[in-house]
Amino acid sequence: MATMNNQDSNNSNNRTAAPPTNASKQPLPTPKAVDTQSVLKRLQSELMALMMSGDSGISAFPEEDNIFCWKGTISGSKDTVFEGTEYKLSLSFPNDYPFKPPKVKFETGCFHPNVDLVGNICLDILQDKWSSAYDVRTILISIQSLLGEPNTSSPLNTQAAALWSNQEEYRKVVVEKHLYKKPNH
Amino acid sequence: MTADALSSVCNLGVLDSLSEASISEILESWNSFCIITETIVKGDDTDLSSYYSKFQSHVSSLCKYGLRDLVEEHFLLSLQETLEKHSAPKFWKNFDANSNGIDLETNDKDMQEDVVELLLCKALEEISLEKQYQEKCLLMLVNSLQICQDYPSDVENVLFSKYQLIVSSVLMTTLPRQFPEVLHWYFKGRLEELSTIMAGDYEENNESQDKNDMENNRYGKMDIDGSFDQKKKLEDKLVRNIGMVVHNLRNLGFTSMTEDAYASAIFLLLKAKVYDLAGDDYRSTVLESIKGWIQAVPLQFLHALLDYLGDSKIYLSPSSTKSPLASNPSSCYPGTSKPSEGIIRWQLRLEYFAYETLQDLRIAKLFEIIVDYPDSAPAIEDLKQCLEYTGQHSKLVDSFISALRYRLLTAGASTNDILHQYVSTIKALRTIDPAGVFLEAVGEPIREYLRGRKDTIKCIVTMLTDGSGGNNNGPGNNGDSLLEEINRDEENQENTGLDDDINTDDKQAWIDVQRYVYAIEENNNIPGARIKILPALGNQTQGLPRGREDSRFHKNSVVKRAQARAVPGWVTPWEVLVPGCQKQTISCWEPDPVEADPQKGSRYRRKVDVLGMIVGIIGSKDQLVNEYRVMLAEKLLNKTDYDIDTEIRTLELLKIHFGENSMQKCEIMLNDLIGSKRINTNVKATINQLSKTGAESREHETPFDIINATIISSNFWPPIQDEDVNIPEPMDKLLNDYAKRFHEIKTPRKLLWKKNLGTVKLELEFEDRTLQFTVTPVHASIIMKFQDQTSWSCKNLADAIGVPVDTLQRRINFWISKGIVSESSSNDPNDHLYTLVDSISDGGKTVISNEELVADDDSERSVASVEDQLRKEMTVYEKFITGMLKNFGSMALDRIHNSLKMFCSDPTYDKSLQQLQCFLSWLVAEEKLEIRDDTYFLKK
Repeated sequence: MATMNNQDSNNSNNRTAAPPTNASKQPLPTPKAVDTQSVLKRLQSELMALMMSGDSGISAFPEEDNIFCWKGTISGSKDTVFEGTEYKLSLSFPNDYPFKPPKVKFETGCFHPNVDLVGNICLDILQDKWSSAYDVRTILISIQSLLGEPNTSSPLNTQAAALWSNQEEYRKVVVEKHLYKKPNH
Repeated sequence: MTADALSSVCNLGVLDSLSEASISEILESWNSFCIITETIVKGDDTDLSSYYSKFQSHVSSLCKYGLRDLVEEHFLLSLQETLEKHSAPKFWKNFDANSNGIDLETNDKDMQEDVVELLLCKALEEISLEKQYQEKCLLMLVNSLQICQDYPSDVENVLFSKYQLIVSSVLMTTLPRQFPEVLHWYFKGRLEELSTIMAGDYEENNESQDKNDMENNRYGKMDIDGSFDQKKKLEDKLVRNIGMVVHNLRNLGFTSMTEDAYASAIFLLLKAKVYDLAGDDYRSTVLESIKGWIQAVPLQFLHALLDYLGDSKIYLSPSSTKSPLASNPSSCYPGTSKPSEGIIRWQLRLEYFAYETLQDLRIAKLFEIIVDYPDSAPAIEDLKQCLEYTGQHSKLVDSFISALRYRLLTAGASTNDILHQYVSTIKALRTIDPAGVFLEAVGEPIREYLRGRKDTIKCIVTMLTDGSGGNNNGPGNNGDSLLEEINRDEENQENTGLDDDINTDDKQAWIDVQRYVYAIEENNNIPGARIKILPALGNQTQGLPRGREDSRFHKNSVVKRAQARAVPGWVTPWEVLVPGCQKQTISCWEPDPVEADPQKGSRYRRKVDVLGMIVGIIGSKDQLVNEYRVMLAEKLLNKTDYDIDTEIRTLELLKIHFGENSMQKCEIMLNDLIGSKRINTNVKATINQLSKTGAESREHETPFDIINATIISSNFWPPIQDEDVNIPEPMDKLLNDYAKRFHEIKTPRKLLWKKNLGTVKLELEFEDRTLQFTVTPVHASIIMKFQDQTSWSCKNLADAIGVPVDTLQRRINFWISKGIVSESSSNDPNDHLYTLVDSISDGGKTVISNEELVADDDSERSVASVEDQLRKEMTVYEKFITGMLKNFGSMALDRIHNSLKMFCSDPTYDKSLQQLQCFLSWLVAEEKLEIRDDTYFLKK
C-alpha cells in the first residue's frame, strides 16, 4: 500500500508539476509540488470521513486512477421541490487543495436558479468564501441545502429563478426534467 | 517349306505357303483337340489316361504350326467354362441352401455352428477335388507341350498361375454375400472349441505349478498326463481340420478373406477373455494372465496352424502366404524363419489389441477404480502399462473428466468426498503419468468446482492435519493425517533420488534427515528390517521433539549426519540403513508428453506434489495457514493439559511444506502453551510456598492446584470471542491472586483473563447422586448460582452472571437437558423461572455419569472463524464499496478491488481478489448488492 501511494503521488507529481514548466500562467512555487503528498493524505482522510459519516443523500468517490477527480451524488432533500431526485456531480481538486476550493459541477442537468445550463454552480463557499476548514462532506451538504434554498437574487438560471415563487409548477418542471434525464443515468 | 513356315510364325506371308494338306491337318487336329479337351474337362481320371496319347499328338501337331497360344487359351477357357457353369454354382449352392440356416437370430448356436462346419468342409472338399482334377488336366497339357517343343521351362508356372487366377476370379465374381459371415461363424466356433480345450490345459498347468505338495503333484501329474495326451490329440485333430479348411480356402484364392475371418474370430475371443478376466475386480492385476492366455491359446493355435500350412504348402504362390502384417515387405520373404516371424507379429498384434481392450475397459471404470484407490492399485498399474503401449492418454483424460462432472462434481457430493477423490486421483494418476501433465487436465475441473464451495478450506485443513480426516482406507494408514502420508510418500521418493540430489543447505538437510528418521521408525516393525536406530533419535516415540530445546538438540545432531551425506562414501550406508523402505525403481528419464507446456517442465514438476495440488485448489497457502491457525487456536484453548505433542508434529510437518515464516504465528501459539506450562507451575509453586510459610489467613478451601492457566500472546492468536461473564466470587479471587503472582514474577507483564474461555470440571453433589461434568465457565457459573438459591428468574440470573438473557437461555438449555435444572413459567409472562431439580424422581440415574460437553459446538466456539474474521475486517470496506457503487453505478470485481487498494488506506486494504469476491457475494446474499453480467450494483 505504501508503495502504491508513492507511485500514485509520483504520478500526480508529474501530472501537476509539468504545467509550471510549460505554462507560466500559474507559476507554482516548487514546494507546492512536494506537498502533493499531504494533499493526497488530506483527500484520503476526507474520503474516509465521508465514507464513515453515513450522511444520507450525499456521496462521493474518487475515480479509479485519480484521487483528484471525484464523482459525487446528491439527493434532493425531503420537503423540497427536489425531493426524490438525484444529481451527479464532478469534483476536481486543485493541487494546492485545501487552500483553493475544488471545482464542482453538476453532471446531471439541474433546473435551479444558481446552476447554469452546463452545470456550473454559483455558491459562495466554492468561490470567495472558501476556507480550508471545509471538506468534501461540507461542500456536498452545502450544495444539497442550496437546492432547497436558492439565492434568487443573483441567478444563473433566470427562468428557474422566476419560476421559484411558484413551487408547484417548479416541482412539475423538476420532476419532468429528472424523469427525462433518468434514462441517461 | 514347313521349316520355313515354322521359322516365321508371325509372318503373314506364311499363310500363302500353307498347303491344302497342312490346312486340313490343322483343322483335323484342332477339332480332335477340342473334342478331347471337352471330354476330359468334363470327365474323370480314367478318361484322362486313355486320352493322353491322342491328346498329346494333336497338341504337338498344332504346335508344329505355331498354334500353341491358341491351344493354351482354348484349354484354359474350357476349364474356366466348366468352373463357371458347373463347379462354382455347385459350390455356392451349398451355402445358398444354407442361407436360411445361417440366421443370426437363431438361438441354437451350437447346432448352427455344426451345420456350418459340416457344410463348409464338405463343400470345400468337393471343390478342391474338382480343382485337383482340373489341375491334372492342365498338367497333361503341360506335359504334351513340353514334349513337343523345347518350351521355356516356366511354362508350367505360367499356366498354373493363370489357372489359379481363373479359379479365384470365377469364385470371387460369384461370391454370395453371406460367405464371409459363414467363414466367420466357422472360425469362431472352431476357436471357441479349441480354446476350451487349450485353456483347460493352460489352467491345469498353472495349477500344477502352484502345487508344492508332492503327493498332490504326483497324482495331479498323472491325471494331467492322462488327459494331456487325449487333449493333445483332440487339439491336433481340430487344428488339422482348421488347417485343412484354411488351406483349401487359400487354394481357392480366399486368402485374405480367410485371414480376416480367423483374425476377427481370434480378436473376438480375446476380447471376451479380457472382459472375463478383467471384470469389475480391481484388486489384482490381470495383464499378466491375459498375456499368458494369449501365449497359451491363440498363439498356440496360430503356431499350429501356420506350421500345418507351412508343411502342406503345395502350390502356394508368395502372394497367397501373406503374413498377418501384410504391409511389412519382409513378411513376404519365403523361408524357414517365416512361421516364427509371423507368430511374433501375431503376438504383437494380439497384445496390442489386448492392451487396448483392457485400457478401454479400465478407463470406462476409472472413476470406480479411483474411488477404492489404494486397493485398486493393481488395476491402475495395468492401465499404466496399457497406456504405455497404446499412448491413448487423451482418451483417459476426456472420459475421466466427463465421469467426474457427472458423478462427483454435483451438489449432492460432500466436500470431503470430493477432496478424497481428488487426492486419490492425484495418487492414482501419479503412477500412470509421473510428469503430472494429464493430472493437471483432470484436476482442473475438480479444483474449479471446489473453489466454489465455502467449506473447502476447512475440509482441506481437517484432512491435512486431523488423523481421522485422512484417508484411512489404506492399510496401516489408520488415523494418519494426509500430511503424514504425503511426508511418507516423499521420503520414499527422496530415497531414490539420493545420489543426484545432494543438498548442502542445512535446513533442507535437516528436513531430509528428519524424513529418514520417520522412515526408519515407520519401517521399524517390518520383519527383517535390520535397523539400529541412532540412539539420539531412537528414544523418541513419535520421532519429534517434544519441546523447543529438544528440537534444537536434535537438529544439530542430525544436521551433522545429514551433511555427511555429501561425502560420497556415505551415500550407500544411508541406503542400507533403510532396508525396509519401499525401493522404487530408478525411473528413467521420461520426456513430457507432447501436450505438455515446455515452460512448466521444470525439474520439480517431475514429482507430482500432492500438497501443492491441494493448495492449488485455494490458490494461496496463506488462507490455508490462516484456517489452520483458527483450528489450532480452538484446539489449544480447549486443552486441559499441556500435551501438545501431536500439534507440534503437525506444525513441524506444515513447516516443511509451507516454510517457517508462514507458520510463525502458529509456532508462537504452541510456544505459548509450552510457556504456560512452565509459568503455571512456577506461579503455583511460589504461591503455595507463600501460603505455607507466611500468612495462614489464605483460604485453603480453594488451593491453586485446581487451576491451570493458558497464557497466550493474543497478538499472534486469531481474534478471540469476548463475552463478559461474572464467575463465582471465590474463583474470581483465585484468578486475581494468580494474576498478581504472575505480575510479580513476570513484571511488567500482566495477566488479562478471558473468563469466558476454558473448561471447568465440576462435580455436582445431590442427596442421592453425584454427577461430573466438563463444561464452559458460563455453564459452571450458571449452575454455581443454584448453590445458594435453588430458584432463579431468567432476568435475575442473567443479571447475576452478567450475560444477556438470550445467551443465558441458550446456555442453560444444557443443564435443562441434563435434567438438573427445570424451566417453568412465572407470573411475569416475559420471564421464566429456573429451578434446581434436587433429586431424580425416577431414580434411574444414580450412578456417577461422566458427561463430556458436546453441546452446540458452533455457537460456543471460542475463536472467531476465518469467515467471521474476514467478515468483520471487511465491514470497513463495505461503506467504501457502497460509496463507489453509488457514484459509479456499476463496477466489475477487479475495479472495485483496485479502487479499494488505491483509496482505502486507514485500515490498509490487504485482501485478495477472492476474499473480496467472497465478501461481495455475502453482500449480494444480504440483498445489499446485485450482480449482473459480472458487475455489481447497489440494490435499489
